[in-house]
Amino acid sequence: MKKSLALLLSAVMLLGLLAGCAPKEGGGSDAKPIKDFLSYQTTANEMETFNFQYTQSNKEIRVLANCIDGLLTNDNKGALIPAIATEWTTPDGGENWTFKLRDGAVWVDYQGNEKGKVVANDWLVGMEWTLNFWKNEAANTSMPIEMIVGAGDYYTYTKGYASDATDKEKAAYEEVCTKYGLDPNVVTTKEDAMAFGLEAFSKMVGMTAPDDKTLNIQCLGALPYFPTVGTYNCLYPVPQGMIDEIGVEGYRAVTYDKLWYNGCYTITTYVQNNEKVLTKNPKYWDTESSRFDTVTVKMVESSDVAFQLFQNGELHHVDLTESNLKTIYDTKDHKYNEYLTEARPTKYSYQIHFVYDKKLENGDPDVNWNTAVANKAFRLAWYYGIDRTDYLRRTNAINPIKCANYTYTAQSLSVNSQGVDYTQLVRDNLGIKVDADKIATYDKSKFETYKKQAMEELAAKGVSFPIVADYYIIGNSQTALDTATVLKETISRDLGDDFVTLNIKTYVTSLAQEVRTPRLAAFFINGWGADYGDPKNFVGQETYGDDNAYYSITYSKINDATDPDLIATYKEFTKMVQEADAILDNMDNRFAAFAKAETYMIENALVIPFYVNIVWHLTHVNDYSKIYCPYGTQSEVYKNWETSETLYSTADYAKFEAAYNGR
Amino acid sequence: MLVYTIKRLLQSVITVLLIVSIVFLLMRLMSTDYYFTEDELIKLTDEQKNDKLKAAGLLEPPLVQLGKFYKQLFTQGSLGTSRRIQANVPVTQVIAGKFAVSMKLGIVAIFVSLSLGLVLGILQAQFKEGILDGIGTAYTILVRAVPALVSYSLILVFGVKLLGLPSMYSTRNVAVSSILPVICLSIGAIANYAVWIRRYMVDELTKDYIRLAKVKGLTNSQIMFKHVMKNALVPMAQTLPTSFVLTIGGSLLVERFFSVPGMGALLVDSVGRYDVNLVQALVMLYATMGVIGMFIGDILMMLLDPRIRLVGKGETR
Repeated sequence: MKKSLALLLSAVMLLGLLAGCAPKEGGGSDAKPIKDFLSYQTTANEMETFNFQYTQSNKEIRVLANCIDGLLTNDNKGALIPAIATEWTTPDGGENWTFKLRDGAVWVDYQGNEKGKVVANDWLVGMEWTLNFWKNEAANTSMPIEMIVGAGDYYTYTKGYASDATDKEKAAYEEVCTKYGLDPNVVTTKEDAMAFGLEAFSKMVGMTAPDDKTLNIQCLGALPYFPTVGTYNCLYPVPQGMIDEIGVEGYRAVTYDKLWYNGCYTITTYVQNNEKVLTKNPKYWDTESSRFDTVTVKMVESSDVAFQLFQNGELHHVDLTESNLKTIYDTKDHKYNEYLTEARPTKYSYQIHFVYDKKLENGDPDVNWNTAVANKAFRLAWYYGIDRTDYLRRTNAINPIKCANYTYTAQSLSVNSQGVDYTQLVRDNLGIKVDADKIATYDKSKFETYKKQAMEELAAKGVSFPIVADYYIIGNSQTALDTATVLKETISRDLGDDFVTLNIKTYVTSLAQEVRTPRLAAFFINGWGADYGDPKNFVGQETYGDDNAYYSITYSKINDATDPDLIATYKEFTKMVQEADAILDNMDNRFAAFAKAETYMIENALVIPFYVNIVWHLTHVNDYSKIYCPYGTQSEVYKNWETSETLYSTADYAKFEAAYNGR
Repeated sequence: MLVYTIKRLLQSVITVLLIVSIVFLLMRLMSTDYYFTEDELIKLTDEQKNDKLKAAGLLEPPLVQLGKFYKQLFTQGSLGTSRRIQANVPVTQVIAGKFAVSMKLGIVAIFVSLSLGLVLGILQAQFKEGILDGIGTAYTILVRAVPALVSYSLILVFGVKLLGLPSMYSTRNVAVSSILPVICLSIGAIANYAVWIRRYMVDELTKDYIRLAKVKGLTNSQIMFKHVMKNALVPMAQTLPTSFVLTIGGSLLVERFFSVPGMGALLVDSVGRYDVNLVQALVMLYATMGVIGMFIGDILMMLLDPRIRLVGKGETR
């Protein structure tokens, strides 16, 4: 039904395009700002909870980050700046951190009535909630457990164990109890854990609040990047007063009208799958900031419906689908032709992730693929041979090359003391000069060499050609099929049908269940966005023999690969990452070491960086004035946005971009 | 009749319980991976996933889970909490808000479609093969021939462009923003009711008692309203309650189209998100509504036509 709906709506949009009235002309510096902002989300992105500690999804984060302020935030260039914490210091290179909190921050209810002061204890209550297994059901625990002293112990302690627990679970619990002088025979039950305050937490976890304005956090080791975690919702405050008011179960099931707010907006209306209204918080601490009086977020079925609403004046921005963008761009006298504007890249970096232990549908190993992908020349043939321009057009039909991505780590995540972006270090190492007209890694001659080498080496190992690469997409999406078809044609054209053929297959609802777990795909194209500001959060996902390396465990399955050369390459890469991670006294050296490891990964095409997402839109908002969020939760906070009641033109955006980049 | 009514009620309860049990067990046959969002699959370790499933009781045998579900239902009157639509909020609370919206829209749509449909059908029957009948027939053919999505799209475009109506339902402007959804909900039903009443009225008009009434000197209006329409409405009485309860249960298509926060999409969303408690509650609700609709239909028929008697098995009706 979705497909038919989309097709029909496209037809309706076309009618709308022909029938609509002309927009008001360009906004400029003298344009009148918008007071009541109208935004949208698709219904698939409707929020499921108002509990900020519990959510792990952008569906909720994009709303709740406007409602609750944490320790720190980012500015429009991605730099870390104060939120509730005015300063953050470490006396020992990053093992212990002290955050000084500002005066004047208060909690309010959804109607703006003051409920209490924001104090350091709120972060202890928030972390206790996050780590308490029964309160937060294991959500958002991985970062605190990896970084904060005693966090893992408290999680284990609150979890207790059931009568059918394994010996390992029992031993872990008993070890924690013994460590803190607790009786291991008294097993924590759900009822116990739900009633926990800060008593056991304070004994175990390295977080203290010596006074209302001081928060101390002890890390497991020196973590110079730890303050960036202060923008993430695992380290957000919960006022004890709210818990007292609505109860533990009440906060687990909290709704917008029960929540306490200390952020720039409160949610004053929420109708599930229809609309939510955020209203300016009258008691917000940052009185200097510019905010909308209200922000209305409408839930729409699809981007085409959003476009219809935009044309009716019911929205202030809309991201354009490829078809709408092409229609407007190719029609020179189209009313929106001069108003097409290009958004800034998102924080996600997309790569081709090879699967090194692929299976066939009957569960047997796909020996042909596994042997091929373990071959370095085979992977490098992909790296140098694919001209991804047509594929990138699916994301950005006007400037496809701009979306080309040459590093695994996303841009703006980390900057060294000379102001050089970390990703530039990697590009320099790789010798990549970004070219506005062509894909920098595309090299026909290198490709031919590697293809010949791969075919010779693999033929000797009994690999049959063409090598079939199974590629999975969701079955009910015409957009996904169109994109996959472009990829198939690209691979056929660039790699040659004698070498590799792409086999497009579909899954019904769950990529994880239907494809990833049974290991049916030869490769995935997938993106990663950082949770905190360090390259480790990117390259650390690909290391060998590490249970916390997300992509290694869930996508590449490298730990189950058998080819000795491939394993040796991965081990070398992992060693380089570990060495980089051990450098804590000098961030420039740390970044340089990580860049070296990432370079090694790309030179061996263990993963192939592919694209970044840059969409085109029609908008009344200057994207460059928004918070830029290379990690954490702040990317859609409606604060200090420069807007215009008149639609911004392409020329306006060129000026904004130039000003932003200091040109 | 009392015995029959009690039997029907018992049968209805058993039917509802059977449906709920089957759906419950089918949901438990699905892989537990569906329990997690893609984000959770990324961020949770296997141990954490296992812990969560254990905490939710999903690792117990399905029959044990079913037993616990009914125990909770009958001892505490609880259908559990939602997991994915509105995390940890009681499912009854989630459904209540949605049901109210769908019900309001549905009642207005039924009122509109029944009024217009009946009037159109009566006029068609009265002026059979005349211009009005032709217009009515053309309308019916058009509505039935054009896919609903196309007609909704046209209504949306013209309603918005020409009449300046909002294209989305808004709880802050319910009256105006309900116009387009109500039109969409009604256009098909108007045609159905018109066809139905026309058919039964035309059938009645050919019967002997009509000729007798004419001989006795009754006017056309008297015949139409006192005899023909009354008799033509009887067969409709049986299906009307079911149609009513289904309409107030929400329309997936219309509610999606106009972002109406009603019941229509809730079942699909909750199945898609593996919100098992919500699915069970909704299945129970829909099954109950369907059973009640049929039951009321039978009672109504009996009340409207004294010749009809509800009887038990083995007797005649």
